[in-house]
Amino acid sequence: MTLHFTPVWFIAVPLLLAFLAPLWVRWRLLMPVLFSAQVALFALALSWIPAVRIAPILETIVIAPPLGIHLHLDAIALLLVALFSFAGAIITAFIWLDNGAAHLRERPAFILILLLIAGSNGMVLTGDIFNLYVFIEIVGVSAYALAAIRRDKTALEAGLKYLIVGSVAAIFILFAIVLLYLQTGQLNIAALAQAFSNMPAQMQLLIGLLMLIGLGIKAELFPFNFWVPDIYRGSDPEITALYSGVLVKAFLFVLFHLTFILLADPTVARNWLMALGAITMIVAELVALRQNDLRRMLAYSSLGQVGLITLALAFASEATTAGALFHMINHTFIKVLLFLLAALMLRQYASLKLTDVHGLSRTMPLAAGLFVLGALAVLGLPPLSGFISKLWILKGFSDVQTFWPVALILTAALIEAGYYFRWIRAFYAAPTDAASMAKMEGEKVLNYAPLLVIAGVLIVLGVAPFLLEDWLQQAAQALLGREALLNAVLGVQP
Amino acid sequence: MLEVLELFDRPAVLHSIYLIGSLILFFIGLYGLLAKRHLLKIFVSIEIMELAVYLILIAIATTPGETAPILSDGLTAFTGMSDPIPQALTLTAIVIGVAVTALGTSMAIQYHRLTGKVSVGEMTELKD
Repeated sequence: MTLHFTPVWFIAVPLLLAFLAPLWVRWRLLMPVLFSAQVALFALALSWIPAVRIAPILETIVIAPPLGIHLHLDAIALLLVALFSFAGAIITAFIWLDNGAAHLRERPAFILILLLIAGSNGMVLTGDIFNLYVFIEIVGVSAYALAAIRRDKTALEAGLKYLIVGSVAAIFILFAIVLLYLQTGQLNIAALAQAFSNMPAQMQLLIGLLMLIGLGIKAELFPFNFWVPDIYRGSDPEITALYSGVLVKAFLFVLFHLTFILLADPTVARNWLMALGAITMIVAELVALRQNDLRRMLAYSSLGQVGLITLALAFASEATTAGALFHMINHTFIKVLLFLLAALMLRQYASLKLTDVHGLSRTMPLAAGLFVLGALAVLGLPPLSGFISKLWILKGFSDVQTFWPVALILTAALIEAGYYFRWIRAFYAAPTDAASMAKMEGEKVLNYAPLLVIAGVLIVLGVAPFLLEDWLQQAAQALLGREALLNAVLGVQP
Repeated sequence: MLEVLELFDRPAVLHSIYLIGSLILFFIGLYGLLAKRHLLKIFVSIEIMELAVYLILIAIATTPGETAPILSDGLTAFTGMSDPIPQALTLTAIVIGVAVTALGTSMAIQYHRLTGKVSVGEMTELKD
């Protein structure tokens, strides 16, 4: 019997493993299974590259499109699925090797993390808009529960806030989907794209606005991102690494995928989305300057980077899109690194307030060093990969003589330098009390292994960006290539 | 009198009535969401908004006189049936909504047991 590898595996395997959780508990295999599942999915994604390079892969379930539900694996979907499983592997390896956070190594967390990965994969693969809603809700419910998984006051508060904001966002998305269906009688995204331009203009605007509110909340865009820092402050840093690294990226993809495919002419929404991205970036970076808690600072920094990615993606030129996708990858790695470091620091220090972490470099030299590396990568200093991705974005803008985003991005980088160095200075300052001078008990190098892997990736991608360049170009073309997608799915020229 | 009643049976009129009613429901929910601070009241408001969306979908997608898309009671062919997709979608969405509300309520109960608080206005643990 031969096994056929199809795109549905990216969704089915995590779901199946999650439902078999009682078995893994009995065999004491919970963490190995969680980790190897992510590694296997990553390997699977890599094994698809040659095939996807030739043509996107469609898998139709039940009937022929537009009647059936289908999954669409093209270069961009493959890129994101690979990214999600890599980030997932790093985070689960960290949780596995770590001797803190026992509640993350039990069955509920195991199931929820797998559901989150399955849902995120589903969101980028699906070609059916109602399926998209179902995956958004799968991701949503597992994210709400993960936020509250520590079950103390702060975690429950974060979970409740996330749940309220997230369900309101889901209602707006559902409303837009309902209107789309009532107007066109279609649920297939490609078929919808064909019918979308025939709708009345007001209806298009209303659907666009509802989608923007719903996905804007989920993708943490200004002004819908007021809730983010609270959630990032209250949940476990390992979990926030998943949010910032996987969840937000999946929602950003959905937002831009729908924008580019539904609108025949994406320049209609270009200025609005670019403005939204620019405001998100500048506001978040300015607010980050004033944060006195490490996790809140990282949350605002994450928002700033999301704004930058939005700004570059919304411009809808191939060069900026490729740069934005590369920055998406880098940002995932950097934020996973920084949030996992925050998790390690939280073991040693009761709080991560600026005044409490003075002299951290004495007790946790490796952590402080990796933090500096992550900060430099966010700022975009060579030879780290953040430099290359920011360079591509800036080059993409300046090649077409659009200079205001360039100025804004550079200003944002300056502000970023301001607050990251504020923290680095605190880490390398003289400790305020002698008690915290003691070397951390049980600090194992093993804990740092996943973090060192990320650091290595950041450097490798910075030195050799050509490893990914082809793939990123293809992904950008796939994201922007409306005609090709319609053609592939419906078999007709739009 | 009968003409007035028949007027109400026309799809266009009926659909507008449903649409206006559902939109009123939606905005009642939105008002509750923004104005109320009690956790359970917020969940109720979210549910009302969700129900309004389901109502719009079901009401607009069916017209009077259509039969249920089920082959039973002597029906052997799909003639004059209503579109089954909105109903399937609504059922799915209701199930999801119930799950989210149940999760939210259980978290609210646990939060209340730990802190004695029930209002989002009092949730200040995460602020600086």
